[in-house]
Amino acid sequence: MVLDPSAPSPVPLAAVPAGSSSDASGAPEQVPSLSRRGLERLDLLLLCLEALDLNGGEAMVWMSEQLGYGQLFPNRVELWKRRCYNPLRRACRRGELAGQESDALIRILCQMADRLYPMLRTLLSSTEPAELAAQRWELFQTRLADLVRERMNPRRSGVQKLLDPAAGDAQVRRMVRTLALGAGSGGFERLRASLLDAAV
Amino acid sequence: MKQTLRYDQISCRLEVDGLPDVSAGHALDAVGILTGWRLQWAGRPELEGQREHLVALMEVVLPYARHLISGVGRRFGDADRPVSIAPKAEGSHRLSLRSSQGDQATLDLDLDDAELADLVRVLDQLRLDRRLALPLSVPSSRPLRGRDLIDRLPLHRRLAAPLGGLAALATAAGLVLLLPPPPAPTPSKGPAASSSASGSSSTPGIPSPPPSAPAP
Repeated sequence: MVLDPSAPSPVPLAAVPAGSSSDASGAPEQVPSLSRRGLERLDLLLLCLEALDLNGGEAMVWMSEQLGYGQLFPNRVELWKRRCYNPLRRACRRGELAGQESDALIRILCQMADRLYPMLRTLLSSTEPAELAAQRWELFQTRLADLVRERMNPRRSGVQKLLDPAAGDAQVRRMVRTLALGAGSGGFERLRASLLDAAV
Repeated sequence: MKQTLRYDQISCRLEVDGLPDVSAGHALDAVGILTGWRLQWAGRPELEGQREHLVALMEVVLPYARHLISGVGRRFGDADRPVSIAPKAEGSHRLSLRSSQGDQATLDLDLDDAELADLVRVLDQLRLDRRLALPLSVPSSRPLRGRDLIDRLPLHRRLAAPLGGLAALATAAGLVLLLPPPPAPTPSKGPAASSSASGSSSTPGIPSPPPSAPAP
């Protein structure tokens, strides 16, 4: 299909270049910290990647070093401590995660999602054979449920909802779609903006 | 001199043709003047157009993906725009492409989540490619406000707070009506009224006491 060049040109909605991390004066942008809801979502998305990649914990540490966050997260314990700001965790930490640390976790998430994108795509594709797709989903959800039971507080309603067969399936599918749309360098801004959404 | 930038994903391929703008000092492998683009889909018709159509595609697809990540599926692009996209069913998205050439009807493509993710990735690759020395004005991703996210909540949760408030108000009003009315205030009595009352001590039916005899 040929789109006619005579069609009216759309009006740019914003002139801010993508990937810009500084304001017009050149000063570094103040990195906002994530809300409790944002921390929950970030940690659950990382948990989804661990369910997809059996060696996900080690892969996160490796990715952190590859991205130059070796000083921020020198070992897996430090990485785990940052993830424990998720209020749904069994052993959660109080307080706020620093903006720089949350950005680093989001970048790790995006790069790992990029690496696992073929698996994410396979889960989301409607052209896969239905029986095979159902088996893949079941395997993935079983792994994710095991990880959730192991690490999250089962008394929290958010955890109970995630483990609920009816409501949890839709939520898990949304998380997989989020990972697919937020994969790679281009997905960082989208995912970060989403995690900074207002609370409703 | 002609350059072709190619971005591949599993279900689609985006090719952008252009020339380096030598007058602006671009490198020979850069694209400073975009002359055309093609988007090839597996099993679907090929799309092609000019720079404004590519910008129109990015202006609707990237914000749509941004909102989907936040759980908000809403239409982007009006009916008078060359491109629009809207959620169709669970896991499906309708991309509509309109040509202003009279003999071509609107082309509707139903994409699943995987195909949408592929499209978003090729557009991201193009947007972030350093060889593209051409500003493509696409909206930056920003956090959504509460009113943008309100559609994400189901209707019963959205109505719970106002209906609960109304119910509480009605209950309180009913309880107030059940209370007994306060006694009517008695009229205040002035000094004249009190003196006349004391002067009329000879109330009918009650004999007044006889005057006492003087003491011997």
